[in-house]
Amino acid sequence: MKNRILATLMAVTMAAALLTGCGSNGSADGDQSAAGSASKQQNTVSGESITLKVFSNLPDRKNGQGLVEQLIIDDYMDENPNVTIEVEALDEEAYKTKFKAYSMDGMPDVVSIWGQPSFLDEVLEAEVLAQLDESDYADFGFISGSLDGFMKDGKLYGLPRNTDIMTFYYNEKIFQDNGWEVPETYDELLTLGAAIRDAGMIPVAMDGGDGWPMAIYLTDLLLKITGGCSDDISAAITSGDFSNPFFKEATELLVKAADAGLFQDGYDSQDYGTAKNLFTNGQAAMYYMGSWESSMALNEDIDEEIRTNIRAFTMPVVDGGQGKSTDVAAWNGGGYAVSANSEVKEEAIKFLNYMFQPDKLSKYGWENGVGMSAQDQTPFMTGEETALQMNFIDILDRATSVSGTPINDCGPSAFKTAIESEIQSVSNGSKSVDDFLTMIGAACK
Amino acid sequence: MKRLYSNKMVIITLVLPAILVFLFAILAPICLSVYYGFTSYSGMGEAAFVGVDNYKALMKDETFWLALRNSLLLAVGFICIQHPLAMIVAAVLDKLQGRAEGFFRCVYFIPNVISVAVIAYLWKFIYNPDFGLLNNVLKLFGYQGKINWFSTENAIWSVLVVLIWHGFGWGMLIYYTGIKNIDPVLYEAASIDGANQKTIFFRITLPLMKPVIQVNVTMAVIAALKQMETVYLLTNGGPGNSTQFTANYLYQQAFKAFKYGYGNAIGVVFIILCLAVTVCLNKVFAEKEV
Repeated sequence: MKNRILATLMAVTMAAALLTGCGSNGSADGDQSAAGSASKQQNTVSGESITLKVFSNLPDRKNGQGLVEQLIIDDYMDENPNVTIEVEALDEEAYKTKFKAYSMDGMPDVVSIWGQPSFLDEVLEAEVLAQLDESDYADFGFISGSLDGFMKDGKLYGLPRNTDIMTFYYNEKIFQDNGWEVPETYDELLTLGAAIRDAGMIPVAMDGGDGWPMAIYLTDLLLKITGGCSDDISAAITSGDFSNPFFKEATELLVKAADAGLFQDGYDSQDYGTAKNLFTNGQAAMYYMGSWESSMALNEDIDEEIRTNIRAFTMPVVDGGQGKSTDVAAWNGGGYAVSANSEVKEEAIKFLNYMFQPDKLSKYGWENGVGMSAQDQTPFMTGEETALQMNFIDILDRATSVSGTPINDCGPSAFKTAIESEIQSVSNGSKSVDDFLTMIGAACK
Repeated sequence: MKRLYSNKMVIITLVLPAILVFLFAILAPICLSVYYGFTSYSGMGEAAFVGVDNYKALMKDETFWLALRNSLLLAVGFICIQHPLAMIVAAVLDKLQGRAEGFFRCVYFIPNVISVAVIAYLWKFIYNPDFGLLNNVLKLFGYQGKINWFSTENAIWSVLVVLIWHGFGWGMLIYYTGIKNIDPVLYEAASIDGANQKTIFFRITLPLMKPVIQVNVTMAVIAALKQMETVYLLTNGGPGNSTQFTANYLYQQAFKAFKYGYGNAIGVVFIILCLAVTVCLNKVFAEKEV
């Protein structure tokens, strides 16, 4: 009898422990969520405390764009004491993975997105983003066409943060000391590369380990060969047919550059940080990267002699190509959106609109030298801009056309994964150009 | 107490947590994987049933076979290089005695204590053709060229070296523990009979270590098949797919290419492979025991 009582007690205790372990969280969450939902809805109306969850792809909150984002969040909380903003920030790849998990389980209220088919198509299909009213942004100074990537069937689902321009950063002092000139043609670029190699330096630091910078390089070359082929790229991705000769020509030019030693040894396995370090510590004379890295000119971790001499030029023209030197590889990539199922959607949209007020993202971005905004930044010029910032303004001012979304982001994710992997193989010669084009075509199907 | 343990209620309550964990953390995900393997699910939205299309595509997928080949190559590397070395080092450590034994035991185990992320970045720098330690050491010996350790031809071997080096400590420690558990009387008797160190190793240490070897080798093969984090951080399968491994490829397909259904199909094949390899290894060792 004693044993039976003991056994029953043990069973009850363990079952209770199990149920509290497994069940209490669930029920607590459920209660919290229900209570939270009700109180949040009430709060929105009454102006009482609201918690906004922001999911960001900018984990560095003390430098660059992450700093700008954080400054705006702090401003918003100062101006709206009843609002608490919780930020969860992950770097790009981890961000995209968790974004997918959130899409199944409930999105944070404000999220970073990319206005590119490789990301946005699948996201919009899942209907996880709230529709925005385009007319609300008529006075926000968005550059013409910059909202296009964030629209589907005429409806707006997000707002672009940047205008990204792909350039060759170069060290002007090293160029002057060695009598090197900014190349005007692609052949001159390769000749310059050989001269830099002879001088014992790395010509161009390339983040080949990631694949996407080389895919943008390919986009840059396509633009210089054709003068503009975004429709042809879309058609090729739709049909999976990359037999158009200019795809082959552009890929061959990329392979030619790699063969000629334009990039550092082992470029195809070196990551973003390594490539950047080669340039910022003076081992490489040039660095192929986007305008979002223009904050290098203000980064005090970089030796003053280097950071004050950083300048940029765009991909030189290709002999026989239709593209001009002023046709630029540029696009509006990263941006923000609001979750369709946000319990505080109204406040989230209010915060989104606050971020994009001309004196926020654009102004702070400009002041912190983090590249070009998707909005008009001219009102915020102070006359104290870095030479690199002026360089980018000049590039954008003189631009006669832009490439739009880079080729790797024009198709579905499977295409993006394939091209970013296979471009390493084709550039290092382990795969032929024809095989490369066949394989990326197959990935579209 | 005996009656307590024979009470069905007690048995059920003691076994229930383990059964629930198995059901919800192992069996249910496997069943879901099998289900999603038959769909074209992208990870978001609706999952459309596509029958065995994913498996058909997988059979024709060159990258999958390349990844599987690399995983098996790693398993061979573990069995033929890492484990014999680990066993020899364990045997030598056992003979060292005193402070040296403890010191070297720690030294060999250090790589296992360091985070995988640190290990990966450490080796990235060691292998760097421009400023890496390896090329600079070669320079000291008069070699003036730059070896690209992560070129398409070299990358898989460079990755294997890191993986074999990284897992060495665990293998060594398990063998070391196995050796320590051998009754010293056997060694004394063999010495009295005039056996030398080589004979002692092959006639006493090795046969008595068979159960340890079985466990260690099975674990090593499974570790090779599910190798992911070091490769992901070191090369992410590149350049191209030259260092692609099955688990990394699964991750890329499911979470980068948004081919969640296809990724699950790889997962299912992967589970079958792991089970088959484990069964085969158990049979091999069982036959030898007879």
